[in-house]
Amino acid sequence: MTSSQAGLSSVGVTAPRKKQLNKCIADTRNTYCLLVMTLIALIIISVTLAVMIGPVSIKPLIVWQIAIAQIFGFEGNWSNAEVNIVWLIRFPRVLLAGVVGAGLAVIGVVMQAITRNPLADPYLMGVSSGAALGAVSVLLLGVFSSFGIYALSVGAFLGAIVSFVIVFALAVQHGRLLPTRMILAGVAVSFMFSSVTSFITISDDSSGAARRILFWMLGGLSGARWEDLTLPALALMLGIIYLTAQSRALNALLIGDETATTLGIHVHNMRRKLLVLTSLLTGVVIAVSGTIGFVGLMMPHIVRLLVGSDHRRVLLISSLSGAIYLIWVDVIARTLFAPEEIPVGIITSLFGAPFFLWLMRHNKGSL
Amino acid sequence: MNFRKFFAISLSVFLIAVPIIAQDDDASAFPVTIENCGVEITYDAPPQQAITMNQGATEIMLALGLEDSMVGTAYLDDFILPELEEVYDSVPVLSDTYPSQEIIFGADPDFIYGSYNSAFGDEAAGPREQLLDLNIGSYVSPMACADRSLRPEVVSMEDVYGEILNIGIIFGVQDRAEVLIEELQSELDEITEILAEVEEPVSVFWYDSGTDDVYTGACCGAPNIIMELLGVENIFGDVEGSWATVSWEEVVARDADFIVLVNADWDTSEEKIDTLTSNPAYADMTAVEDENWVVIDFSYTTPNIRNVEAVRIIAEALYPDLFEDVEAEATEEADD
Repeated sequence: MTSSQAGLSSVGVTAPRKKQLNKCIADTRNTYCLLVMTLIALIIISVTLAVMIGPVSIKPLIVWQIAIAQIFGFEGNWSNAEVNIVWLIRFPRVLLAGVVGAGLAVIGVVMQAITRNPLADPYLMGVSSGAALGAVSVLLLGVFSSFGIYALSVGAFLGAIVSFVIVFALAVQHGRLLPTRMILAGVAVSFMFSSVTSFITISDDSSGAARRILFWMLGGLSGARWEDLTLPALALMLGIIYLTAQSRALNALLIGDETATTLGIHVHNMRRKLLVLTSLLTGVVIAVSGTIGFVGLMMPHIVRLLVGSDHRRVLLISSLSGAIYLIWVDVIARTLFAPEEIPVGIITSLFGAPFFLWLMRHNKGSL
Repeated sequence: MNFRKFFAISLSVFLIAVPIIAQDDDASAFPVTIENCGVEITYDAPPQQAITMNQGATEIMLALGLEDSMVGTAYLDDFILPELEEVYDSVPVLSDTYPSQEIIFGADPDFIYGSYNSAFGDEAAGPREQLLDLNIGSYVSPMACADRSLRPEVVSMEDVYGEILNIGIIFGVQDRAEVLIEELQSELDEITEILAEVEEPVSVFWYDSGTDDVYTGACCGAPNIIMELLGVENIFGDVEGSWATVSWEEVVARDADFIVLVNADWDTSEEKIDTLTSNPAYADMTAVEDENWVVIDFSYTTPNIRNVEAVRIIAEALYPDLFEDVEAEATEEADD
């Protein structure tokens, strides 16, 4: 009895949530609370700085004057070009980077928990290859052209959903969703979709085709519009709230199906529900950003190394640090080789991987 | 080679003459509406601040004497036509490849002109519909429409002329465009007249790029326009598309009399000659045995104003005797 009590408290079943929040504001020595506050402050600072930085230099003061003028709708003494750059390019882009970064990190956390596989990432269910096929069909075959500027997003989203549905159907056996089958089916479906994508790309006779596809597949936030922001931001917010409410179940799933069952969780239902939800979220994210690697895979590990594996903490901290990370990585992607752009996915891994390896070496105990 | 100089001189004379001939540009024609690749755009006045995203587009604009209506160029594949160099230098170069959206907006354009659909990708100028919302007009070469069904099935010089004319109309210099088209066509007529003397058509292998596989001119793109105007037989004229990837086996089996070697930074003509001569499997091809080939720079081989000159470069290499006579006559005339 005592051992099961210890098990329960270690997976975070007790501890009332609201009290904790109040305590958080009062008790500054609580390191977790301090971390949350710091990260929120860092997000605000990052957004502020990131919109001021760009290949075209605009005075920081003007950047904020334009922003205020746009929100409250008055005219000012700046050029049309400056308004377009600040308000139509930088702001939506920086905010989208934050949303996508947060989304990928949170999805990664959940995927790793429900599969109990440290290599699981948001693209586990073959969604990235499905989305890539959708994107290629739009870019090279011109399908969905009736959707205009949204064609690419629609194509990528539908591709992601189609591949998810196939993998899901393959992974279910006797009404149970088995993690191993899920991973294997995901890999197999990925290969299938990738080969069709490659075939379409290679068959295209225009010289820039391969480059465009590669650009999309490596992920990017260029071309972010205000309209692209609403749906992902909304979906993500609801997603994080729901997932945080399921922290207890996630903690239990991470430990093992038996423990979870002991704790009264219907393991298969829960896993199915969470999987559908995260895959839909991935589809929404992928539709606006392509496949950005590394964030969803590594951010959860980094966060677990820092704050432990309780999902009540991991989810929030992951989303905040994912947002900050991608905002800065995107700043690098758009300024490093200016006037050209490089796909943000290249930078996420280039800088993220060495950092992760360093962190791993210095935390020998926990990994 | 003298003839190229002659061509260059005549083109530059024409370029200087055009603005004088075409002084009374018809401003009353506005507003004009141009439908291009499924996007319909109405211009109340000629754009004043155009950006060209590719070399082909840049050269058409400059050849129409529109450098004063330009605020930037981008993505030069190799070198600008020598006769356009001076005006080219007067326009800022935004980027060696595609500039990012921020750089483009920073130049405050009212018109963006690309030769390829990729110029309007998110990593470049962004979708044309979105640009239109910001009152920025745009044009993409009709041979590169995003929607394939809107592209011409078989590209011809008429499509290149159509593009020049459209740009002329948008910028209120339709008469200049007509003069340029006429000039290109008469240039072409001159060459084809000489080529009419050729009795037996030779077969040609268009070697664009590749080592393990071969990227070649297929039935319906710019390489094929050039080969058709030359009156030669494209050994891959039966393959669909503008360009296509084929196997060496087929290249050897179809044994061309002559090879066109496309020279590009990313795949030079020297590398191609190396590939052709180093592998014993290719040594017995007629063209390789006799080293029967000509080098042509990549920018001549996409649909643009250089295609006529491309025909001349290859024709001179194919039939040096025919063109020597003409050159001699031309020099004599010039001497008189």
